[in-house]
Amino acid sequence: MMTGERSLGLLLFEMTFLVLLGPLVTGTIQKIKARIQCRQGAGVLQPYRDLAKLFRKGTVQADTASGLFRLIPVLVLAATVAAGALIPVVRAGPPSFPLGDALLLLGLLALARFLTAVGALDAGGAFGGMGASREMTLAPLVEPVLMMVVFSTAVAAGTTELGALAAQRGTSWVLAWHAADFLGFAAMLVLLPAETGRIPVDNPDTHLELTMLHEGMLLEHSGPGLGCMLLASHTRQIVTLGLVSALFFPIGPANGADAAGLLLGVGAFAAKILVLASYLALVESSYAKLRLFRVPQFLGIGFVCALTALALRIL
Amino acid sequence: MNVDSGLNLMAACYGAGALSALLARRSGRLALSVGHLATLAGAVVGLGVSLSVLLGVPGRTLAQPLPALFPFARLSLSVDGLSAYFLLVISLVAVAAAVYGPAYLRTYSPDAGPARQATQVLALNVFVGCMAFLCCAGDAMTFLLFWEGMTLASYVLVVSDDRDGENARAGLLYMVMAHGGTALLLVAFLVLTERAGAFDFAALRAAAGDLDGTTRTTLFFLALVGFGTKAGVVPLHVWLPRAHPAAPSHVSALMSGVMLKVAIYGLLRFAFDILAPVAGPLPSSWGWTVLVVGTTSAVLGVLYALQQHDIKRLLAFHSVENIGIILIGVGLAMILWRREGVGGVLATVALTAALLHTLNHAAFKGLLFLGAGSVISRTHVRNMEELGGLARRMPWTAGLFLLGAIAISALPPLNGFVSEWLTFQALLGGAGRFHGPAGLVIVFSAAMLALTGGLAAACFAKAFGVTFLGRPRTAHAEHATEAPPSMIVGMAWLGALCVALGVAPGYAMRLLDAPTAGLLHGPGASAVVTARGPMVLSAGLTASGTAATAISMTMVTALLIALTAIAWVLRRGSRRGPPRAAPTWACGMSPTSRFDYTATAFAKPLRFVFATLYRPRREVIRETAGTPYVVRRIHYAGEVVDLAETQIYHRVQRGISSLSQSIRARSTGRIHGYIGFVLAALFVALLLFGVDQ
Repeated sequence: MMTGERSLGLLLFEMTFLVLLGPLVTGTIQKIKARIQCRQGAGVLQPYRDLAKLFRKGTVQADTASGLFRLIPVLVLAATVAAGALIPVVRAGPPSFPLGDALLLLGLLALARFLTAVGALDAGGAFGGMGASREMTLAPLVEPVLMMVVFSTAVAAGTTELGALAAQRGTSWVLAWHAADFLGFAAMLVLLPAETGRIPVDNPDTHLELTMLHEGMLLEHSGPGLGCMLLASHTRQIVTLGLVSALFFPIGPANGADAAGLLLGVGAFAAKILVLASYLALVESSYAKLRLFRVPQFLGIGFVCALTALALRIL
Repeated sequence: MNVDSGLNLMAACYGAGALSALLARRSGRLALSVGHLATLAGAVVGLGVSLSVLLGVPGRTLAQPLPALFPFARLSLSVDGLSAYFLLVISLVAVAAAVYGPAYLRTYSPDAGPARQATQVLALNVFVGCMAFLCCAGDAMTFLLFWEGMTLASYVLVVSDDRDGENARAGLLYMVMAHGGTALLLVAFLVLTERAGAFDFAALRAAAGDLDGTTRTTLFFLALVGFGTKAGVVPLHVWLPRAHPAAPSHVSALMSGVMLKVAIYGLLRFAFDILAPVAGPLPSSWGWTVLVVGTTSAVLGVLYALQQHDIKRLLAFHSVENIGIILIGVGLAMILWRREGVGGVLATVALTAALLHTLNHAAFKGLLFLGAGSVISRTHVRNMEELGGLARRMPWTAGLFLLGAIAISALPPLNGFVSEWLTFQALLGGAGRFHGPAGLVIVFSAAMLALTGGLAAACFAKAFGVTFLGRPRTAHAEHATEAPPSMIVGMAWLGALCVALGVAPGYAMRLLDAPTAGLLHGPGASAVVTARGPMVLSAGLTASGTAATAISMTMVTALLIALTAIAWVLRRGSRRGPPRAAPTWACGMSPTSRFDYTATAFAKPLRFVFATLYRPRREVIRETAGTPYVVRRIHYAGEVVDLAETQIYHRVQRGISSLSQSIRARSTGRIHGYIGFVLAALFVALLLFGVDQ
């Protein structure tokens, strides 16, 4: 019954790989941004140093927070990393264990987001509430569009299993794309900054109350708890990028089970992530942050693209 | 258990419970305890009956005649898979409500007189008993009698709590709407019974066999409006957010979690079992209407829920949303049933999703209403802006409420996610099956379902955060204490159900075999959904009907637990010792509860985004001290409107009042004038209907 092309060991390896690589992606984006802005910038390894520092520190906790508050970073990190286990990284094809459904992936990310928002309300400050309110306003607008993009590929393939979707697309490159794929990808490009919390939707570099969404929710976390939350947001970013690459640029060397194939798969994945990360850095350097109430209109572009993509697939 | 003796025992339990109201002459407390104990016994017997039918031989129908009360109709009970499944749903929530009830009523209204306690015990047992036996009805007469009993008993419960004007108005609206719906049902059933010459469902089925298409569809739409009124679909939902919060909380749990489902039972029974054509698919207008109505209810229900501050009203609006989600599954099953290709398998997936969501919604909505009841019994406040900080004071209630909140927001690994996942898979499969605009409607419905899930998460982040977290905003919340153990046990029962149905849903599919196979005459739920074993859920999507997409909730949960353990080690860090406590950062000011985000503020961005639907109104009055820069006092009032209420009901109301005004001009008060009107009416009626005989 449990026939699949990716063993549990490979799944766990891919998950660990994503978690370890996550901070590097953030570091790379920061470096590219710095270069575009004619700055030297911190090294690409800076996020790792930040995490190491945070995990060595003690904890300061708001005196009004409940017992739930200490558990929030743990659960958020666990849910985000579990989402990472569903992304096919080095090989296409359905996993031997039923772990790889795109809807489950979106569900786990939504769980992490919900718990983050609940944690932000726990400390009882206006900043946390504001961040949570904004985040939970935009999330319901992003999620349906993301799901429509997934559907636009899934309807053709007849499955929402990410590995199977990637395998169906095979090694076909942009030349074999339908119009629906281009539109779906365009929708994804609109959604990417929203889902990874970057300009023009959110600004990851500031806690200023005018601009923040996600950062506002982290204000009251400290020490290892904050470390968990930061690691979770790095992981969330790479998982989202991994979702895009699984949906649109599936894995090149699909069949190599040996070390060389594995290495090739890892290399190809890293290259795809690097391209998408440069896109994020470029967008972040060339646009200003939108006003909160302009963001729904921005996401509307994505919605129209996704709907058209779906219509083209079905009609 | 023998089903016939089980039904007798169940009737005896609920009857004894109703009679125990007489004990209130000696002691109200005694009547409460005995009455709820009888409800508990009836519910446990109901569980036994339903499980023995569901896990027994599939396709078996058990029938039992009832005493002949009417010369023209034989009353009977008949239990098949669908009846047993809904009996299971009712009994599961009734167990929790019966355990929870006595302590709740004692703490919420300690000074209630024995008369009120007797009424509540009587009405509760009649209410639960009527719902349980309604699902077992074997003929239209029994069905309608229990339907009316359920409505009347729940009306008594709605107005029983406080004798204030608002409850009475809510009760009146409920009464009018419910009877409007019942009138339509009566017409639908009587047309069939008149043709059949008998009341039992088998005769109605035979009579429906030779209906022409137009009559069949007309009858279906009559029933849809009739049952839809009870189920609270948009735009027939206006009574629901008023009546449900007015009842005592464990009755709210029963009304929202179970009574609405009885209407779904009626719809399924009427459409699939009685009215369906002998062969071939259902008329396509049925399924598409139900799908569109379901989608509208889901989205509008959650949008209006978002703007509520009364915690029970918020939960009541979420029932509108969840009924919508159930109807999406039902509509899809109607569309796909008996279509060639993979339609049959997909119809089973869709109906399984709808039925599973029925059970899931009963579990988490029951839990949430009981959680809200715990808060209300301790604080006597329903407005969440006056609560806050309860998680430190009521940790068990808070934890269980959070569990229900995660479940209702359709987040893994709890049960809400499972049934919505199945709905998504059925929608996706349906979209692949129907090309063209029909497919687009289905996919749009899927996108709206995703929007609903996201908005529900936002709504419950607000509801849980504002009620339980932060600082207490008033003295009511400040001095709250944990609910008594029996109330926590009642909640924990439903919480355990949410976890079990989320982590190992494959085992629940056995229970769905009999209703799905019996209703659709096709493969049972477990043959389709758990084809790869009970640990793995899968949905047939490809043309060959093979299970293409699969998830294992058990494995995801195991992965989550393992990762949580690893993250916990990481979280402890290298530095041991308790965390240092410090005040929350408030830009250098000393924080008070006024700094906490309110529910109104939390939902404000969404009020802006969906302003076309909300039509928000706000009124700000400033009292300034001479100059506009020094504000002494500021008064803010804001509200959103329910479009159905302003656009439909207010117009109807105006029409009725102007009509009554014009009739009033003719009412002279003289008796012979009225007799003249009656004679004239009779004459016209004879002219119209008596001529062709």
